[in-house]
Parts: sequence; C-alpha cells; structure tokens
Amino acid sequence: MTRAGTLSRRLTQQNVALALLLLLVGVLVLGPLLVLVRTSFAPAGTAPLETTVVTLDNYRAMLASPDTLVLLRNTLVYAVGSVTIAVALATAVAWLTERTDMPGQVLVRILMFSWMAVPPLVLGFGWILLINPGQGLLNVWARAWFGATDAPFTLYSMWTLIVITALAAVPTAFVMVSGLLRNIDPQLEQAGKVLGGSAWSVVRRITLPLLTPGILSVVIYMFMAVVQTFDLPLIIGLTARIPVLSTRVYLLSSPDRGIPNYGLSSTFGIFLLLLASLLMWGYLHATRVGERFRVVTGKGFRPRRLVLGPWRWPALGGVMLYFLVMLMPLLMLFWASLFPVYRTPSLDLLAGASFASYAKAIGSSMVQRAALNTVLLVVLSGTIVMALAALVGWFSVRGGRRIGRIVDILSFAPTAIPPVVMVVAILLLYLRTPLYGTIAILVIGHVSIYLAFGARTMVAAIMQIHKELGDAALTSGASWLTSMRRITLPLVWPHMLNGWLWVVAHSARDLTIPLTLMTASNMVIASALWMMWDFPDLPGAAALSMLLVLGSLLLVVPLQIVAGRATAAPG
Amino acid sequence: MLTVESIRKRFAGAEDAPAALDGVSFHVAPGDFFTLLGPSGCGKTTTLQCIAGLEAPDSGRITMGGDVVFCSERRIAVPANRRNLGMVFQSYAIWPHMTVHENVAFPLVHGMRKAASGEVGPRVRRALERVKLDALADRPAPLLSGGQQQRVALARALVHEPRLLLLDEPLSNLDAKLRDQMRVELRQLVKSLGITTVFVTHDQTEAMAMSDRVALMRQGRVVQLGSPRDLFLKPASAFAADFMGRTNMIRGRLVQAGPPAAIATPLGLIGSDGAPGLPAGAEVFAVVRPQAVTVLPDDAPADGLANVFRGRVIAQVFLGDVVEADLAVGEGSLRVLLSPYREAPVGAALTVEIPPAHCVVVPAEER
Repeated sequence: MTRAGTLSRRLTQQNVALALLLLLVGVLVLGPLLVLVRTSFAPAGTAPLETTVVTLDNYRAMLASPDTLVLLRNTLVYAVGSVTIAVALATAVAWLTERTDMPGQVLVRILMFSWMAVPPLVLGFGWILLINPGQGLLNVWARAWFGATDAPFTLYSMWTLIVITALAAVPTAFVMVSGLLRNIDPQLEQAGKVLGGSAWSVVRRITLPLLTPGILSVVIYMFMAVVQTFDLPLIIGLTARIPVLSTRVYLLSSPDRGIPNYGLSSTFGIFLLLLASLLMWGYLHATRVGERFRVVTGKGFRPRRLVLGPWRWPALGGVMLYFLVMLMPLLMLFWASLFPVYRTPSLDLLAGASFASYAKAIGSSMVQRAALNTVLLVVLSGTIVMALAALVGWFSVRGGRRIGRIVDILSFAPTAIPPVVMVVAILLLYLRTPLYGTIAILVIGHVSIYLAFGARTMVAAIMQIHKELGDAALTSGASWLTSMRRITLPLVWPHMLNGWLWVVAHSARDLTIPLTLMTASNMVIASALWMMWDFPDLPGAAALSMLLVLGSLLLVVPLQIVAGRATAAPG
Repeated sequence: MLTVESIRKRFAGAEDAPAALDGVSFHVAPGDFFTLLGPSGCGKTTTLQCIAGLEAPDSGRITMGGDVVFCSERRIAVPANRRNLGMVFQSYAIWPHMTVHENVAFPLVHGMRKAASGEVGPRVRRALERVKLDALADRPAPLLSGGQQQRVALARALVHEPRLLLLDEPLSNLDAKLRDQMRVELRQLVKSLGITTVFVTHDQTEAMAMSDRVALMRQGRVVQLGSPRDLFLKPASAFAADFMGRTNMIRGRLVQAGPPAAIATPLGLIGSDGAPGLPAGAEVFAVVRPQAVTVLPDDAPADGLANVFRGRVIAQVFLGDVVEADLAVGEGSLRVLLSPYREAPVGAALTVEIPPAHCVVVPAEER
C-alpha cells in the first residue's frame, strides 16, 4: 500500500496525461514560434536551422524598405474598411433579427450560421467571374443595358477587396453581435420605456451604450481576423497589386520564381505576429471591460421586441438582399461549371448545359486523391483538436490555479498567431523531416490553428459540469481515466460534437495551410481548387467549388436547423 | 479507524489569507458516527476532501485502518480511487446520463474492487432495497426527486462495502420535513451496517441528533471535540456556546476564580460551579442556556438569595411548543423559556433562578 502510494503520487494517469498534453501543445505552439524567431535572425541565403550566425540584417532590410510602409498602410486600410462595413451590416441585421418583430428570424439565423461553411476562396472566385473587367457578368450587362463604355465595376481595386471581404465576414460578426444583443437584460430597456423614453431614444440612449464595450470587442476580434486573412488578398489583391502583410509573408516563403527568402519572410511574420498580439491584448482588455458592463441574467428571458409595423417587410427585404448578393457569386460559379468553355449567362444557352465538368472532376485521379486527403485531413484535425481540447478544458477548469493558467495560455496563444505566420513557422520546422509533404504536416498545421477554438468550447462546457460528478466517480474507486471516459466526456458530448463540426468545416475550407505546405502528394480539395483555377481550368474549378460548398453545407446545415429551432423555442 | 494528524493546507493563490486548515487532528473509532461541524469557510469540507483524497494537504498525516493514505514526511498520497471509500456529495452527483441501476452499479463495475459480473445485479438490488428504491432501478436518473437522488447517492456510496463512509452535507438540499425523516433513517442505516462514518454539516441540530462525536471547527482549527451533550452543555469557548444553540451570553468580570466562581454582571452577581483556568479579574461570559433557567413561583422569596433574580417581561415570542421571553433583570436582560400555558404578558414580573451547575464560564476575548 505504502509503496503504491509513493509511486502513485508521481505517476498517476492524471499526471501522465497532463505531461503529455503540455508536451504536445508546447511542441505544437512553441516549437514553430521559436524556429520563426531564430530564422528571422539568420543571414539571407542560409537554410533554416543550419547556421549559427545571428544577424539583424532581415530586420534592417524590413525597416529600410519603403515597401514596408506601403504594406502596413494597405493592411490597415484593408482591415479598417472591411471591419467597419462588416460590423455595421452585421449589427443592423442582428438588431433586426433579435430585437424587432421582423419576420423570418429563424431563417436569417440559420442562413447566417450556414454561410460560415462557405469557403471565402469560393466566394472570391465567384466575384471574379461577376465583375472582372472583360467578361464579368455585371460589367457585360451594364454595357449591354446602360450603354456603359468601360467596366463600371472594377474588380482589382482596394475598394472591391474591402467590400468582398466585408460581405464574407458579416456572418461571423452577426453571430457575435446577436449573442451580445440576446444577453442584454430587457428590464434595463423596459425601465427606460416606463420612465417615458420613446422607443428610439431607448435604443439610442440605453441599448447602444450598453452594447458599446461588446461591439468594441467584436470590432477588435474581426480586425484581427481580417489582418490574418490570406485567401481573398491572394486571389484579388495580388492581381490588383495591393500587397498586404499576410500575402507578403506567403510570397517570400513560396515565391512564384526564385528561391524562398525564409529570413525576411520570418521577419515580416514576426511583425504581423506583433500586430496581432497587440490586437489580442486589446481584445482581452475590451472583453474585460465588457465583463464589468455585464448585464447578463442568464435565464431564458424573452426581450421585448420593437414593433416595426409596416416596415417589417421592407426590413426583411433588405436582409434578403444581402443573402441575394452573397448568393450571386455561387450562382455564377454554378453557371460556369455547366459549360466546357465559359459563356456569358443567357437563357438561350441553357439547352447546352451539362454536368460533364462534374463527371470529369470526380473522375480525375488528382481530385480523387485530394478528396481522400481532405477527408483524412478534416477528420484527423477535428478529432485530434477536440481530444486535446477536452484535456485542455479539464485541466484548465479542474487542474488547479497554476496548471490551469499554463494550459489556458498555451492553448489560447495561437489565436494571436496568424495562420500564414504559423504555417511558415511549421514549414521551417518540418522542412527537413519526413513529415514534410505528407497529410500529417497539414494536420499539425490545422491542429495548431484550431486548438484555441476547440479549447474555448471545451473550457466552457466543462465549467458547466459540476465538479462533484467527476469526484463521485473517483471516490467510487474509478481511475481518473475511467472517470473521464465514463462520466465527464459523455456529459460534454454535444459540445464536443459541435466543436468537431466547426473544426471540420474550417479545415475543409482553409487554403492557407494546404497551399503553403503543398507538394504533389498532399493535395487537398482546397489546394486542388487553387491549382485548377490557376491552370486555368475554369469549369473544373467551378464544379469542384460547388462540390466543396455542397459537402460543407450537408455537414453544417442540418445541425444549424436543429440548433436554430432549439434557440428559438423558449418563449 | 481513521486518524487525522495535524493536517495543514493553504490554497494556491490565497497565500495572504489565513490557512484553510491549520493543524486539524482527530481520531474516529470504528463504527462511530463522527461529525465535522462549523460555519461556512471553517475548513470542514476541505478536511473531508483531504480524507477522501480529492484534495492533498500541505502537511500532516492521515491513516485509515492501519494504512497510511497520506503522509507529507514520507511523501505518500494514495489517490481517492484507491482509498476504498464511499462518499455522498452535497449535490448528490447522480450521473444524469445513467439509470439508477447504472449509477449504483458503477463502483462494482469500474471501481478498484470489481465484483464478478454475476454478483453485480444482486448486490445493486440489495443496496437499493436498503434505501427502499428497488422499484425505481430502471428509471433514468434525471427523473428522480431530490429525496430519491439522495437515496441513490447513499446506495451508490455503500454498494461496494467501503471501509469508511463520507457524507458532505447530504441533507442540506432537502426540504425541512424530509430532512427530519432522513436524519433518523440515515443514522439507523449506517449504524445497522456498522460502518464508520464522517459527516460534514453546518447545522448544529443535525450534528447533535445524528452523531456519536462532534468536532467543532472554526477558521481551519478544531476548537472543541466531544459528544453532542458535552458540546451543548459544556462549551469551552464563547464561539462554541453561541454556535451550539440559542443561549444567553452575559458579559462580566470574574470576581472569584473558584470553584465555586462568581461573576459580576449587569444582572448582578452570578455564581457558577467552575471557571477552569481563568484568573480572578478576567473578562468572561456567563453562558446560560434559556432551558437552564428555572422560573420560580411568583410568591417565592428572592431577595438576598444567590442566583435568584427578579425581572420584568419586556418582549415575548409565542412559538407554540414554547414561549421565548426576554426579561429585564437589573441593568441587563435574560432570555428564558416559558410554558405556552403560562400567561406572562409584557410587563409581568417573574422570579427566576440560574442553577450554578448550569452556568458555564468562558473567556470573553473571542466570540
């Protein structure tokens, strides 16, 4: 008994699990970062990790280049513009959905959530078909119907990039803002009304000020997300000659011609990382202020809704217009997928439409391999992320103060690491290992990037489970592992499934990781899509886009309908 | 059966606050019903969690039936699942994703001392019969009432025949009537099984009704240890006197250390059989339970008699089974209990006696 006791103090399942978790998360998060920092101090022309020289050359080069200022300005203009538009639109729609008697609220919510499953890459392709200067449908129509001489819609400009990004970012902002609106205690508003305020002055003087800290945190979060965005600036911004920080980091490490300049890429990466960390700090600060303002009562109350009267239908019309605009690029891609050569859409052509491109795409061995790889990638990423996240959640909530904090910080840190920086760091770390060029390295990338989201989901979930439920299993004689397996995990199962679906959907649509780490053997659907578009094989790329969107929606929509009903139900 | 020796614990992040446990020691004899009693934050639950192995003390030693389960010197800490315990939690911790049967079978199926598969069914049934829940074995756990959940928790804690049963405020979530009934049932059940039990509560009535011995705790220390009767009748401190039930705490100065002792109070001079260890001149409380005060016939002589006082009723509360009356006596006041059949309106004069044997003297510095 005594000897078992002495041993067990050090070698319990719990401590082994904790050690493994810290090791894994530490390697996943800190490993790439350390390599990134090291490479940024390496002289130009040396392979990463093969030199002992420390130099500030890269930093000098970055600071001396006039480009740097342009990059920074572009990045800021791009982020400020798209975040302003996205949050304004999202707040308006969220307010209409949560706080007025506009019809179709459940539908709006389901559409918004489902839209998050549509890859921005696909939307970008659709927009290019819609408004490119030569054959863009809207430009063709404008010329035909209004006699415009040149193209009224310019695809390759900062403004277009901003608007397209903003439209794509609205669903995410909507989800965050509607959460805020739902949590305001309606009694505060009712008090304003009882004391004689009109409906509009209540909105202006009470609702908006209460929302301000929350909205601020949404703005910072979105800002961070846009600064880190990579796919839209890549497919639209580069042709328009609008380089931003994220595309610069990518191009330096994966140039079209010439050899990669990892040193300078890392240096710009660290610059972007610092910018994101600053925003992260601002976000944490803003959410803390938000906590102080916290007016959440928790229990299912039903806020009093503003009566729009005859304006109900125009309001719904406005919201539907947004969805229509969002749908246009998808319809455009669908059209393009029906013909072997792109033709300007018209009803006369419909007779010649065929699904041949789909058959060809599905039949292609590259796509088949990519599909198999995608399934492997998303299932492995989702499962590993949620398994780690469950442990992170447990140790963060139950592991005691110090351990909880370490685990928390380690798993939350990747939020501040832009994926494009993370992937360059991963590239540097694994370039010379057998992992490079396999699916495994993509899985490593997605696990590092999505762990933060999974961890936050599981921390919240395990916090809701009474500690005594797990303790009761221990005092019943069950081991820590059995208690996890039989009690804790079955109780948080719905949250795990939800998080798993989120990771799977995001992993399937991400281009950053697969593109930067792409080799002939680890192609996935997103990178295959990029290849076909670049080749160019427009019908093939369009068909594959539609298949990807369809697959993501099939996974996400049923869940959203169930969840939408559940949140709409309590009266 | 259970020995706890000077365990100390400070929570991480609360280094400036007083220790959660500041040298707690006690011994529980086999078969005893032992209670840790005290106000919230006194360390009683932390002590229980240290015994269970859910928390580790910073230092000290815990022994169970000859096995050292925790010893800071020898760096021993047997984890909770190897201590062979049964525990009932304050929230009951009934697993909502299982049926009653699955809940109770858990220790036999997943515990350290697994039962043969043929034995599980009969043993679960016996455990459920003991708590009169055998009819509900197949019911999903969320469909149980509070009282039923409590019984399931008890069956689950006993089914694997642990050497020690730990109860963490198991009655505090029940309504008053059910609580009175469960109090009796619980004690009868554990006594009939002969299992050593450690019980945690903040309710002194519960502690007195159920326990063989009580450890009264305050600020991480055991301040008094004894039978319920000892704690109620012979409190060693103002805190113990106050905590164990309603009482008169009459402040005064010890004029004669005794025994017999005498205390100068606003009521007058009160005699007591003893004031152990206190010097004359000390500031003290005379602790007189309202039940101890004898109301004398109206025509009884009072003047000049030791410990006999005349007072006037200044307030009274009719409680049904008894009447609580506050008397103005001298410069102070005294609470007494009257029979509901006795008419004693506000303003009525009463003669009362405080028997010296029932007046306990405690130091005044703490309360």
